[in-house]
Amino acid sequence: MSSDVVISCRNVGKAFQLYTHYNDQLKQALLGFWKKFYNQHWVLNDVSFEVRKGERIGIIGRNGAGKTTLLQIICGITTPTTGEVKVEGRIAPILALGAGFDGSLTGRENARIGGAILGLKRNEVERRLPAIAEFAGIGQFLDQQVKYYSTGMVARLAFAVCAHADADILIIDEALAVGDEGFQAKCERYVEEFARRGTILMVSHSLDYLRALSDRLLWIDGGKVRAFGDPGPIIADYRAAVLGQALAAQA
Amino acid sequence: MYLTVPFERAWHHRELIRAVVRRELKSRFRGSLLGWVWAIAAPLVMLLAYTFVFSIALPVQAQNISITEYAGNIFCGLIVFNLFSELAYRAPMLLHEHASFVKKSIFPSEAIAWIASIRAFVYAGISFVVLLVFRLVTAHWLPATIVLTPLVVLPFALLMLGIVWFLMGLGAFTKDVAHLMISIVPIMMFATPIFYTFDQLPAHIVPWLKLNVVGDYIDMLRDLVIYGELPNLVVYVVCAIVSYAVFMLGYTFFMRYKSVIVDVI
Repeated sequence: MSSDVVISCRNVGKAFQLYTHYNDQLKQALLGFWKKFYNQHWVLNDVSFEVRKGERIGIIGRNGAGKTTLLQIICGITTPTTGEVKVEGRIAPILALGAGFDGSLTGRENARIGGAILGLKRNEVERRLPAIAEFAGIGQFLDQQVKYYSTGMVARLAFAVCAHADADILIIDEALAVGDEGFQAKCERYVEEFARRGTILMVSHSLDYLRALSDRLLWIDGGKVRAFGDPGPIIADYRAAVLGQALAAQA
Repeated sequence: MYLTVPFERAWHHRELIRAVVRRELKSRFRGSLLGWVWAIAAPLVMLLAYTFVFSIALPVQAQNISITEYAGNIFCGLIVFNLFSELAYRAPMLLHEHASFVKKSIFPSEAIAWIASIRAFVYAGISFVVLLVFRLVTAHWLPATIVLTPLVVLPFALLMLGIVWFLMGLGAFTKDVAHLMISIVPIMMFATPIFYTFDQLPAHIVPWLKLNVVGDYIDMLRDLVIYGELPNLVVYVVCAIVSYAVFMLGYTFFMRYKSVIVDVI
C-alpha cells in the first residue's frame, strides 16, 4: 500500500446467508460444519479499488447494488466474506442519521453519546458542543428531547456531531437529502472544506450533487465495480443504463 | 496476553461506556416526578414486605434467628439474585434493543455487556445501601468485614459479564433464549439460598446446591455483611476461578460470533 492510499479494497466479496427459517441461523452457527442451512446471496463480488488521501469519492448504483454493504465493510461494522480491506485513519460514518439517538434524551445528551461512539473523549465533546450547536443550527431545541425533533433536525444534529469528530475519513450514506436547502448548502461547504484535510466517501442518488462534489465516481452494479473514474462520463453512462432500463420496462 | 484482553478493550472504550451508562441511568427515571426516590423506595418496600411476611405470616421459618436478621438474610439474597435475573432476562434481547447502534454506527457491540452490567450493579448498589441502613437501624452495628465486600462483588461481576456475553450472543440468533430464561430463572430462584440458608437444609442436598455459583456468592456476602465472618477461602477461590473462566468463555464466544451477529439481527 503506497503511503497516500487510505482505503484499499482488494477482491472484496460479501455473501449474505439467506435463511428460510429464523432459527436456521442458530443451527448454522452451531452445526454449520455438518450441514448447510442457507442459500448464499452475493451482495458484493470481487470489488477492488483504492482511494487516496484527500479524494472525494462518490458512489452510485441502483437500490440493492451493494453500496451500503460496501460502506459497512469499510467502516468495519461487518466483515467481508472474501478479500481484504485496509483503512488508514479514523472513520466518521454517517450511515443512518441519528441511528444511535435516544428519543427520550435531549439533543445535547445525544450529541455526547454520538461523540463518544466516534471516539471523542468527554472533555473533547464538551469543548465542541458550542460548535456542534452552531453547525446544527437548531436553536434551543438542542435542550429538548429528540423525540420532538423533525426528521430534518435529527439529520442536522447527527451531521453536526460527525462533522466535529476530527475524523480522517468521512463516510456519508444518503444522509444529506433530508436537510433543507440552507443546511444542504452548509454541508456542501463543509464537504469541500473537509476534503482539504481528509477523505470522503459519499453515496447519493443526486447525480448533480455528485458531479459537483466528487473527484472520482465509483459505480457499483450488481455487487461489482462497473466503473471507477471521472464523474462526467460515468454519470452519462449511468443515466443511460438506468433510464434505458426504465424505458425498456415501460415499453 | 489474552486473559486481559476484555479489560483492555473495555478500558479503550471507557468514554463510550461511561456516556451510555449515564444515558441509561438518566433515562430510566426521566418523566417520573420522584425520579431517583424510586430506586430507593422499591428495595425498601420489598425489604419491609419480606420482614412482614416472615415475621408475622410465616414465623416458623425464622425460628432460631431474629426476625430482622432473617429479613436481612433474605434481602441480601434477593439483591444478588435480582441482579442475576435482571441480566439473565435482559441479555438475550440486548443486541436487538441496540440494533441501530450495532448496525448503523461503529459501535463496539461487546461494550453493551459492560453497559448493561454496570447499570444493574448500580441499582444493586442502591439496594445494598438500603440493606446496610436497615442493619444499622435494627441490629445497631455493622461488621468490619463489610470492607471486604468488593472482593466478593468483583468476581461476581465477572461471572455476570460472562453470562451476559454468552446469552446476548446466543439471543441474537434465536429468540428462544429469551423464552428459555423466563422458564429457567424462576426455578433457579428456588435452587438459590434466598429464603433459606445452607445450614437450614438437609446436609445431603447442600453440595448439589453449592454447584450454583450465584448461591455461593449470596452465602459469602451474608457472611461479610450480616454475620461479620470471613467466607470459606476455598469456596471463594473456587468461585473466583469459575467466574473468571465463565467471563473469558463468554467473551470468547461473543467475539467469535460478533461479525456474524451483525448480519443476523
